[in-house]
Amino acid sequence: MTINHRLQVQDLTAGYGDRTIIEGLGIDLLPGRITAIVGANACGKSTLLRVMSRLLRPRGGQVTLDGAAIHGMPTRALARVLGLLPQSPIAPEGITVADLVGRGRHPHHGLMSRWGPADDHAVATALEVTRITDLADRTVDELSGGQRQRAWIAKALAHDADLLLLDEPTTFLDVAHQIELLDLLCDLNARRGTTIVMVLHDLNLAARYADQLIALRAGRVHAQGSPEAVLTEATIAQVFGLTARVMRDPVSGCPMMLPIGRHRLAAK
Amino acid sequence: MIATLVTPGRHRRLTRRRAVMLALAAVVAGLFMLTLMLGQSLTPPGDVLRVLAGQDVPGASFTVGQLRLPRAVIATLAGMCLGLGGAAFQVMLRNPLASPDIIGVSAGASAAAVFAIVFLSVSGASLSIIAIAAGLGVAALIYLLSFRDGVSGARLILVGIGISSMINSFIAYALVRAPGWSLQEALRWLGGSVNAVRIEQAGPLLAALVVFGGLVLSRSRDLETLRMGDDMAAALGVRVGAVRLSVMMGAVGMIAVATSVTGPIAFVAFLAGPIALRIIGPHGSVLIPAALIGAILVLGGDYGGKFLLPARYPVGVVTGALGAPFLIWLIIRANKTGGSL
Repeated sequence: MTINHRLQVQDLTAGYGDRTIIEGLGIDLLPGRITAIVGANACGKSTLLRVMSRLLRPRGGQVTLDGAAIHGMPTRALARVLGLLPQSPIAPEGITVADLVGRGRHPHHGLMSRWGPADDHAVATALEVTRITDLADRTVDELSGGQRQRAWIAKALAHDADLLLLDEPTTFLDVAHQIELLDLLCDLNARRGTTIVMVLHDLNLAARYADQLIALRAGRVHAQGSPEAVLTEATIAQVFGLTARVMRDPVSGCPMMLPIGRHRLAAK
Repeated sequence: MIATLVTPGRHRRLTRRRAVMLALAAVVAGLFMLTLMLGQSLTPPGDVLRVLAGQDVPGASFTVGQLRLPRAVIATLAGMCLGLGGAAFQVMLRNPLASPDIIGVSAGASAAAVFAIVFLSVSGASLSIIAIAAGLGVAALIYLLSFRDGVSGARLILVGIGISSMINSFIAYALVRAPGWSLQEALRWLGGSVNAVRIEQAGPLLAALVVFGGLVLSRSRDLETLRMGDDMAAALGVRVGAVRLSVMMGAVGMIAVATSVTGPIAFVAFLAGPIALRIIGPHGSVLIPAALIGAILVLGGDYGGKFLLPARYPVGVVTGALGAPFLIWLIIRANKTGGSL
């Protein structure tokens, strides 16, 4: 089990250039749990993830890890605790899966340290957990979308971070691969206690897989709490401007929503 | 042990990488010996080795020791500086077009040298110093002009190409205004060659390779991680800004010093990285192979320009003739596949 680190965001203001995207945002991420951040396009989800992973400097407020502001921490020390999978990561041309996964070991190496058995072990374990061991010597370019995403997850695993931030990890995946990926993240969370924070577009998957939902609206937290508390008809209307019906998912017991448009409405 | 799943593969790649590097080093050594042995006359390898050992060999000491050795040494060192500096830039900005000879660093050094030759009648060491200072100055200018919340690769390349064309028009102006005698000198300098080099000039090159090359190589793991994008690298603990600044300083230093000694040898910095990447493959850093390829290009280009073509051409003409088609091919290919290096 990993140590549970507490990531908190306090009174955060952030943006690009003259544009303020996030204003006065505060959240407290549950250690050892899965949190999904949802919201309409351009509500600040990705920006929030960028600030939390220190890719973007906040204008005001702060992000703290176990009480210390992350923007003052040594880069490598932070990287050992906090892992990130950006929305469209770049694989160096021609790199093999094993090498890509090995890149995840970077935070554990200083200027002089050499690759050791512990690194091989971490890479092999990550490949096995994500079930891509047989692809280890293939190049990333040859993989299908689902396999490639698993390779990136494996890289994040080899990183061995206690906190994993993922920006829309299921984009470009078909529904079976989406489920497979989220199951994988759940396994990771259950087995190693890794705290997982992900931006998700699919509200039903978010409600099913996350312990905590955070709904953003115009750069602020509109609602946060258990899926039951957040995924309501009222919240969906306010956050997405969408009429929806929310019911209980007969399989998982989690809330599930059905969007309602202007057409194809069967007469009562 | 679960690690046995990946360890053999890694060893295999490492072994192959070492073999390729050894082969490249052997080619460098071969071309080096060829330059020493075979010029207008053939010197047997035994004589060459004796001259290198410091013995006085009648008929060979002057040709090998005074004419060919400086040429071979300078070509090797300058090629390594150019190859290493160019590849470092390309890897850092994830773009083969980010080579210092395309974004204006070499052009800056050249313009200053031409200006100094034409209008100030400067030569020798002061010419080198002016060229180095201008190369560094232009690099700093490009960096500052493209700085906004950190430096993005694309912006730096575009600013660099713009600056480069401004500088080239300045060179053209200086050449138009140049009196006959200095025009010859300026043109010879602009051609990029290792003709008429002296062995003392190896000193600055070697120093640049050790100091600036060392600075760049010490960042090689960070550079490798940067190939996965700035965001991913930052998330993996790379201090992107600091790494960029030190790699840039090192690479620009090497390029400026090499250019100050040999003139701008066209496209070596630009070609070495991509060629090395094709040969060595994507495993591990491309920097040292690129330095070796740089040496091969300059040694081979110099030898080819001297003896394999109907007339004698300086090395810069040969590498330029190789580089231009490659540039076009790279642009066509980049449009098809997206990225590279």
